[in-house]
Amino acid sequence: MPAPAISIRGLTKRYGRLTAVRDLALEVNQGEIFGFLGLNGAGNTTTIRILLDLLRPNGGTASIMGHDCQGNGLQVRALVGYLPGEVNFYGDMTGREVLDLLGRLQQRPVSTEYRRELQQRLDLPEADLRRRLREYSTGMKRKLGLIQAFQGDPPLLILDEPTEGLDPLIQESFYDLLFEVRRKGRTVFMSSHVLSEVERVCERIGLIRTGQLALLAVVDDLHKMAHRKVRVTFSSDVAARPGNLPPEYELIDLQPRSWTLRIRGTLGPLMAALAGLPVSDVDVAEARLEEVLIRYYREEKP
Amino acid sequence: MKAWFALLAHSARRSRMFLLVTAALLAAFQILLAFAAKELLELNTFSGLAALVPDFMRQVFGTSLLTLMSFRGMACLGFFHIAIVAFLVGLIISMATELAGEVETRFLDVVLAHPLARHWIITRTIALLVGCVVLLLGAMMLGTWAGLHWLVASDLARESFAVVPQLALNLGILLLSWGGLALMLAAIARRRNIAAATASLLAMASYMIDLISQAWKPLKPVARYSLFHYYNSLNLITGSRQVTHDVLILACVAAIAFALSYLFFQYRDL
Repeated sequence: MPAPAISIRGLTKRYGRLTAVRDLALEVNQGEIFGFLGLNGAGNTTTIRILLDLLRPNGGTASIMGHDCQGNGLQVRALVGYLPGEVNFYGDMTGREVLDLLGRLQQRPVSTEYRRELQQRLDLPEADLRRRLREYSTGMKRKLGLIQAFQGDPPLLILDEPTEGLDPLIQESFYDLLFEVRRKGRTVFMSSHVLSEVERVCERIGLIRTGQLALLAVVDDLHKMAHRKVRVTFSSDVAARPGNLPPEYELIDLQPRSWTLRIRGTLGPLMAALAGLPVSDVDVAEARLEEVLIRYYREEKP
Repeated sequence: MKAWFALLAHSARRSRMFLLVTAALLAAFQILLAFAAKELLELNTFSGLAALVPDFMRQVFGTSLLTLMSFRGMACLGFFHIAIVAFLVGLIISMATELAGEVETRFLDVVLAHPLARHWIITRTIALLVGCVVLLLGAMMLGTWAGLHWLVASDLARESFAVVPQLALNLGILLLSWGGLALMLAAIARRRNIAAATASLLAMASYMIDLISQAWKPLKPVARYSLFHYYNSLNLITGSRQVTHDVLILACVAAIAFALSYLFFQYRDL
């Protein structure tokens, strides 16, 4: 069995009296896209910076592909492509110079063809690469940051807020890129505030709150934890109330010609309750991940 | 090593134009000084200038002050003129604290997310500092040599130039020791401004202590802790002081500061 792409055990980081990360434990499997969520200041970026050995933890260990992040930092960083939350390069450098410099800092050779393909997919043509970075917009800097992270085709990508500042079309290209690298067996560890994005691309998520892991779950399981809103419409007036519904069902509106319910779990008991009634339509609104996650953000149990 | 060279080349490329122009200006200044010294010599003005120095100045600063009023003193003026020395120290401090700027802007986050050991960042900065000192002082030496050989008789030129390598060596090590101290501050600082301002204030205080101690005896014991105390250019020109002792002390300061920079940077949070 291969070593986990990322393994974090009992990780603690303190800044003076402030504990940014407290006894964090987490494993990310190789070949998965893992979403690392949390509000600003929750400890996401601190955790990422410890993985890259930019910060030294006060306790616990972190390892990537079996290499200790602090003890074997060089081996670890040879396996990682990193996009920081803020992309800050010298304004007098051109995009091309940035890519060349960071390409030369890698141990693995950078394929010119792959880089060109990345440029094409993220819409950063040669003409833009010849411009100085001080002329770049936020979105262009983000694209450049993504290209430099992907260009070495590393086994693990650590991306901090990857789509911030990207327009919707480029976001789509980026998601395609993520699915493609996953198909190639690469691992992606990304932090994001965009829940719809996480829902769409991640297989598992970890939610960090005040430095502690508040939730670690498979995205599909979270969907099951979420309520779905179901509206049943009848062709004629129905006087009866739905009976024998399980406790996960909440009746929120009862009209002679329609029922509206919030349902967690399967729809089987509802179908049984509707048997024999003049049902004309059943509208099921998809469960939304936000509904579950926001409760965790607010320190509530769902 | 390949990665380190790439980073060094990148940093050198960013400052090359400024350094080359500065080197050319300093060389030109030395040629002009040689020309001025030749003119004053031909007009027999040096003895007149020396006579203008008041007695109390001679008593306070000693006979070495009169060196300034000599052909050799004038030709080597660039190596100890306060404006040039202050500029060079400021430039070295600015280059050494670039490291803190790279931490501040998080440029180093991206660089050190690659397989590059932290010590290479310090080694890169030291290499740049040494390169900068060699380039600038080399240009000044070249300017002095060219000015003297083009403009004055060969005997006088040779005699006057003899002290220049010693001055350059002493000044170069002084600059590197300030570079080392500034780098040490940058290795622990989160803000470049703070590191640069602290190093600059230290340099200014150090210079003033050394200057005042020449006139005010009670400050003499404190002056030993000033790095400028170990660059006594006028005494070097008169030949009344050997460069070895001062250079060794300054080299030790620079070496200790560089070693501490490695240590602090290795264990800090970025």
